[in-house]
Amino acid sequence: MIRLFKVKEKQRELAENANGGSPIKKQSAGELRLHKDISELNLPKSCSMSFPNGKDDLMNFEVSIRPDEGYYFGGTFLFSFQVSPIYPHEAPKVKCKTKVYHPNIDLEGNVCLNILREDWKPVLNINTVIYGLYHLFTEPNSEDPLNHDAAAVLRDNPKMFESNVKRAMYGGYVGQTYFPRCM
Amino acid sequence: MADAAPPSKSRDLDKLLLRPGNLVGPTFDPGVQLRDDLQEYARVLVVGAGGLGCELLKDLALSGFKNLEVIDMDRIEVTNLNRQFLFRLEDVGKPKAEVAAKRVMERVSGVNIVPHFCRIEDKDIEFYNDFNIIALGLDSIEARSYINAVACSFLEYDSDDNPREETMKPMVDGGTEGFKGHARVIVPGVTPCFECTIWLFPPQVKFPLCTLAETPRNAAHCIEYAHLIKWDEVHSGQAFDPDNPDHMKWVYDEAVKRAELFGIPGVTYSLTQGVVKNIIPAIASTNAIISAACTLETLKIASGCSKTLSNYLTYNGVEGLHTKVTEFVKDKDCLVCGPGVLIELDTTVTLKKFIDMLEEDPKVLMTKASITYHGKNLYMQAPPVLEEMTRSNLELPLYDLMDKIPKDVLHATGTINKDDKKSSGLRKLRVVFKGIDGVTDMDMAGGA
Amino acid sequence: MAEPKTKYDRQLRIWGEQGQAALEKASICLLNCGPTGSETLKNLVLGGVGSITIVDGSKVEFGDLGNNFMVDDSSLGQSKAKCVCSFLQELNDAVKAKFIEEYPEALIDTNPSFFSQFTLVVATQLVEESMVKLDRICRQENVMLIFARSYGLSGLVRISVKEHTVIESKPDHFLDDLRLNNPWPELRGFAEAIDLNVQDPVAHKHIPYVVILVKMADEWRTSHGGTLPSTREQKREFKELLKARMAATDEDNYKEAIDASFKLFAPQGISLDLQQIINDSCAEVGSSSSDFWVMVAALKEFIANEGGGEVPLEGSIPDMTSSTEHYVNLQKIYQAKSEADYLVLEDRVRNILKKIGRDPYSIPKATIKSFSKNARKLKVCRYRSIEDEYNNPSPAELQKYLTDEDYSIAVGFYILLRAVDRYAANFNHFPGQFDGGLDEDISRLKTTAVSLLNDLGCSGLTLTEDLINEMCRFGAAELHAVAAIIGGIASQEVIKV
Repeated sequence: MIRLFKVKEKQRELAENANGGSPIKKQSAGELRLHKDISELNLPKSCSMSFPNGKDDLMNFEVSIRPDEGYYFGGTFLFSFQVSPIYPHEAPKVKCKTKVYHPNIDLEGNVCLNILREDWKPVLNINTVIYGLYHLFTEPNSEDPLNHDAAAVLRDNPKMFESNVKRAMYGGYVGQTYFPRCM
Repeated sequence: MADAAPPSKSRDLDKLLLRPGNLVGPTFDPGVQLRDDLQEYARVLVVGAGGLGCELLKDLALSGFKNLEVIDMDRIEVTNLNRQFLFRLEDVGKPKAEVAAKRVMERVSGVNIVPHFCRIEDKDIEFYNDFNIIALGLDSIEARSYINAVACSFLEYDSDDNPREETMKPMVDGGTEGFKGHARVIVPGVTPCFECTIWLFPPQVKFPLCTLAETPRNAAHCIEYAHLIKWDEVHSGQAFDPDNPDHMKWVYDEAVKRAELFGIPGVTYSLTQGVVKNIIPAIASTNAIISAACTLETLKIASGCSKTLSNYLTYNGVEGLHTKVTEFVKDKDCLVCGPGVLIELDTTVTLKKFIDMLEEDPKVLMTKASITYHGKNLYMQAPPVLEEMTRSNLELPLYDLMDKIPKDVLHATGTINKDDKKSSGLRKLRVVFKGIDGVTDMDMAGGA
Repeated sequence: MAEPKTKYDRQLRIWGEQGQAALEKASICLLNCGPTGSETLKNLVLGGVGSITIVDGSKVEFGDLGNNFMVDDSSLGQSKAKCVCSFLQELNDAVKAKFIEEYPEALIDTNPSFFSQFTLVVATQLVEESMVKLDRICRQENVMLIFARSYGLSGLVRISVKEHTVIESKPDHFLDDLRLNNPWPELRGFAEAIDLNVQDPVAHKHIPYVVILVKMADEWRTSHGGTLPSTREQKREFKELLKARMAATDEDNYKEAIDASFKLFAPQGISLDLQQIINDSCAEVGSSSSDFWVMVAALKEFIANEGGGEVPLEGSIPDMTSSTEHYVNLQKIYQAKSEADYLVLEDRVRNILKKIGRDPYSIPKATIKSFSKNARKLKVCRYRSIEDEYNNPSPAELQKYLTDEDYSIAVGFYILLRAVDRYAANFNHFPGQFDGGLDEDISRLKTTAVSLLNDLGCSGLTLTEDLINEMCRFGAAELHAVAAIIGGIASQEVIKV
């Protein structure tokens, strides 16, 4: 290709090229795929989204979930999503911003959801993740605990679990831990 | 042995560049001119000045290239010294790119190497367009993906969807892990780009968080618990920095405590670093092999002195020695290197009209399209919050929304109706506005 | 003094402290320090090899500056060995580096005993005649030998070692040593104590798959006359049985059991490769046997006696879904068995040593332990001598590869690399070495290649014109990038042996 290089180098030396067609910002393949995911979102009424950095930053967004049944009925739970440029090769990073008494979410907001870690596959999308999160609220499970205490209560005494959840959502203490109101 | 020819520094290389041969590239034009042109006109960028980058710079400098630049954001660490041979103990802490460039220039006279001590994203796109070939010595998928996207963005297609040779930015890419490695040639538009074959990279193993929290079984589980869960619990707000030795020590101590609690053997400081930083073992010899293979390909692309690799070589020295060349195929619909669909428009066409046109265009047939242009979301069908934010664009001319650039690429996602089947799709579109200066020379007659 | 360990961190992660210690003990001799030799040594010096000795009689010429990174403008006219040696020393001051300004060919002829002081000799850019001589010397002195040659865009690396035995071969994919189809009493006892039908769903999904498979295998045996599934149909049936036992669809431990059931179906006893090693005549040990073969002899006894057809247990288990308690206990059971097996083997090693009149403690515990754990992965490599390769070619194999599309070019270059040496012996220069008379060189090389093919017993076959042309174009050029590849491969092989 040396002949081409030579031609180009000479052009380069002659003048700054007049072609104004070069793009300003590079959009990664991950961003494009995310664009597709988001433009095709089909969320239940109980979920809504916001984009804190405006309409052009899709890589960082928030999802709020208001479960319409189950233990967590009436609460609002906010999740932050961080998507990598090599999405969907890598799962989005999801944290729960609302402090919640939940067997599968710890007090730091870490979420134990298989598709966010060991079972993530590039064919999955943002929609599946949001549905997965939603299901954590309608069907919390005591078998994959991240909050050990909450899981034990759910397993051994569902009634008490229910009242603990209520207490936490109204804003109050469960054991030593204070939960701000999220109703 | 008496040698009649005058002494030449490129004694050995000359045999390859000055003599005709039969097993050569189609454009090979041997002679002194070729050798001199390589020195004068071939500009090569080496991305990364680590294990592969050091070797690449040395190899290129001794393979007839004189105009080199190198970009790397890292500083030299002690653990680099077992393979990054351009660095000495006293260089620890200095920028890799600068030391590497200096050392090679000291040793090989006549070579000019410009170092860039910065992130690859810090340079604007035009910086990359100045090079004829980009040689990648990287260890992350993200960085490869970024450079690939940049190199492919220079590629233009003619009206018959054939790639224009003068816009191709060839890359050679190397990678190693222990005794294994790969070298590949990416000529955008001709061979598959990085994104066409991203599935070649196995996804990283991630442990379920609940395993870490509840049923740890091995040392790595204890380490990841300390790193991912315990750290946040104790240092709320402070981000974990893998390069801070105090942070690393803290994670190690916590992991040891947890391992003792569960009776799990095997937590060591070295393993802690390995797990947390996802350290890939690296040795000098594999880097040498892979970089030299990449350099030969660079020389072959530039000079045509031999047929280029097509297009992916794997090397495995774990048991015996196995190499294999695989010819991967391009993904013709690749969003990064594919041609996309050419669409001609009047400058007055509004975004709404354009979206309607996509439903009718036989090559697109897309309904409910959302449109994005270089990171700007022009229109989003969902979710409602974004639809609202972008709705006002619908009545504006697309030409204005695209900053009055006469031809450029944008992307559309929506439902594709093909053969009575509906599927969701993402399409690259090459939009050309009619009647604008600067595009008239483009041969539109042959277009669809 | 954490520095050396930190410096070698990235390679210690591959070959461990033991491998590093072996490397640091090795003394290596390099013959000819053109780019091929320099690059080979560069990689070894960086890795921390014990000492290097460079033998080269030539002076640095102008052309060397264009292909060798271990010389610079100020080296012109000086001893190449000296310049390369001093630049290599800069890379790592822990390595003892020295040089001898002499032509290797002369050393081979006049001072063969010189080579006996080294662990390994790397011979680069030698022609056939010297290769054969050097190979004879090194075999006699038990010095490992690696040839490396770069020639235009082609090259070769040839290892020549009488015998190379490997204990820790670290293969990439190797079946875990779980003994699922042949559990020892403690493992069976552990499995029996766990109830597969436990009601608690958390307990149910945390039973390790090892236990599930051992128990289900027993169940199968009772209903199938004591045999395990062997036909494809039976294996499928067994997997169905596993699936039926799942309490919920998301039980990872059962999924793992289904995926790992092939480990249960695997044949018992030792592999064919290992069979071959224990039946090797070297396993009949005497006073001059190496440690390796003494241990093989002990292993053979172990397999025939305590092992009941199996080697000592490796003792590690892969990660699997499990409660921490079960997993740690399981680990302990495997480790205990492995330790017990090792002690038996050690006893047998000591006895054999005594029998052959050696100090029973002359093989260290750590070596026997490593041998015991890696018994399934032992490797013995023997390379035939260069002389044998040249004098007793295998025409059938050459013919096969020459006519095979995938290999014909590689074998073509192999033959041409030998042909150019023969050519050089006749005409005092390599084909295409000088710019004049290329056409004559091509036709001479062609004749040489034809006669070589004749001697190799492949008289009917020819090499393509293109390949012969190409070889003459190369004109014995030593290109830096090719040298770096060949040197890289050679150094990888050095580290492995």
